[in-house]
Amino acid sequence: MMATLTFYLAGAIAVIATALAITRSNPVHAVIYLVNSFFALALLFYLLGAPLLAAWELIIYAGAIMVLFLFIIMMLKLSPSSAEKGLVATRGQWVPVVLLAVALASCTMLLTGLDPATAQEAPRWHASPRDFGYALFKEYALAVEIASFQLLFAAVGAFYVGRPDKMRDEEDVV
Amino acid sequence: MSLLELKALLPQLLMVLGATVVLVAGAWVRNRRLWLLTGLVLALGAAFIAGTVEPPVAEVAGMFSTSLYARFCTIAWSLVIAATLLLSGRYADLHRYGGGEYTSLLLFAGTGMSLLSAATSFLGLFLSLEAFTLVLYILIAFNRVDNLGAEAGLKYLVFGAVATGFIAFGIALIYTASGTLHIAEALAALQVDGAMRPLGLAGWALMLVAIGFKISLVPFHFWTPDVYQGAPAPVGGVMATAAKGAVLAAFLPLLDGLGVAGGEIKQVLWLLAILTMLVGTFSALSQTNLKRMLAYSSVTHMGYLLIALLIGGADGGQALLFYLVVYSFATFGAFGVITSWALEDGEVQNYDDLRGLGYLHPRRSSALALFMLSLAGVPPLAGFFGKFGIFHAALQHGYLELALIGVFASLVSLYYYLRPIIVLFMQERDAHQLRSGSGEEFVLLAGCCVATLFFGIYPGPLLDLIMTLLP
Repeated sequence: MMATLTFYLAGAIAVIATALAITRSNPVHAVIYLVNSFFALALLFYLLGAPLLAAWELIIYAGAIMVLFLFIIMMLKLSPSSAEKGLVATRGQWVPVVLLAVALASCTMLLTGLDPATAQEAPRWHASPRDFGYALFKEYALAVEIASFQLLFAAVGAFYVGRPDKMRDEEDVV
Repeated sequence: MSLLELKALLPQLLMVLGATVVLVAGAWVRNRRLWLLTGLVLALGAAFIAGTVEPPVAEVAGMFSTSLYARFCTIAWSLVIAATLLLSGRYADLHRYGGGEYTSLLLFAGTGMSLLSAATSFLGLFLSLEAFTLVLYILIAFNRVDNLGAEAGLKYLVFGAVATGFIAFGIALIYTASGTLHIAEALAALQVDGAMRPLGLAGWALMLVAIGFKISLVPFHFWTPDVYQGAPAPVGGVMATAAKGAVLAAFLPLLDGLGVAGGEIKQVLWLLAILTMLVGTFSALSQTNLKRMLAYSSVTHMGYLLIALLIGGADGGQALLFYLVVYSFATFGAFGVITSWALEDGEVQNYDDLRGLGYLHPRRSSALALFMLSLAGVPPLAGFFGKFGIFHAALQHGYLELALIGVFASLVSLYYYLRPIIVLFMQERDAHQLRSGSGEEFVLLAGCCVATLFFGIYPGPLLDLIMTLLP
């Protein structure tokens, strides 16, 4: 019962936060909403019996990639008008706080529910990190290889298209 | 994955590992021609292996098939990549492309296309589709100083990312409904009493949007002219032929696997085919830019091919493959002529710039005229047999209205295919002398011309080959 309730709560938060993320005009707000949505998604993964994915969702997506996004937005030096608009206090500021609070609260609820003393139902299927690694590098090894090649060529292409003009001129050989 | 499975993937492995080697070695040896030549040899080698080495297993890792059909597609797409590399020699010099990067990206695109046509799992389908689309994003914007190219690359990226979202969600829904990613099993599980389950139908609807984008069917075609215009001409050639062909080749068995349950999807495809043929034709009429006209022409041709996809089975499949081959020769040849006429500061593509060019460069102009006539479906050329095959199959399978619209679109298309020919040969000569073609461009264009003529006069061998692929 507790798990079902948490599932729908986290699902609702994920949908609302993502919708808000893509409608914000201030990029920093958008990123914060996206972090919210990742937290809710991590909870969903956990409830579906994939603890490793849940941890990665938090560590890699919310922790690393979104922080990178924030850095990039800060380095881009947004025009003063948009920055001022972002600094004005509005009631909307409370929305991410509330969403994140609900996500964290449901997380706590879940943990209490999973406590051996109070546990009512365990997930029907549980993918341990070992199961996960086995599926990834045995069953889907070829898929992982294709994806990694894809990333390699994407990185090469991005560098080639984005490199400074100075390097282009040096390259003018043969 | 066993050693036998790796052996079955030998052509793809050769291309992708070769691409990596070229990429790494290209960082030290900045010799453009050397890497283009290496890439050419690798792509030809992959085609040769796919044609001669019998794969020891029928399916690799539950994701890719090694059937005759898949091997034929591998040969076709690697040959297109080889032809592109051959064609790009002077063009790459002109725009000072990094030879290693250009070659390796094209080789990887070839790998993705050949895997896509062989996919037997939705996972393999998604990954290989993304593999070559990703490379195309970069190749379209490869000429950095060209603003049109950058715009085209960005446009394709944004539209492509949305399409990727659609296909991923569609696959997720199909997986939810069927519980498996393997295409044959999933399609069987989607059906209950000869009808499609609602969730599967929703998944298919999302997939159709993505397919529509990738092969530019009509409501999703708006990117096509801008991207073709902005992309480097050799890359445009790949996009119009192999990239679309690979998607069509992958979805032909997919639609066949649906059987009777695919009725609703076929209704949508029926509507898309009509829209694509008509809108493509009428949009092409007013074009005054060769590449934009070719873009709308490719939209129209996708409409014809959709008829073959709708018919399905052996008849539809054979008509589709034959049409795809002859269409590819003519379209690739047309892009080849544009490549060969390229200048340092852009490509000759406006009809105003083509005026009277036929007197200055008679051989390449005649080749272009031949390709245009084949695309229009004028009788002695290969394009006629392609169209005949599709419309004949349509009549046999009760798609009279589609055949009539197709014939009507072909008749109207004569107008816009003849226009560049008239501009080239029958107007006052005020074009400037362009560079004379290089040897490899001559070989390639001559090859395309011979193929267009040969398959028009004597289509037997190709038809026999296709019949053994799709009995």
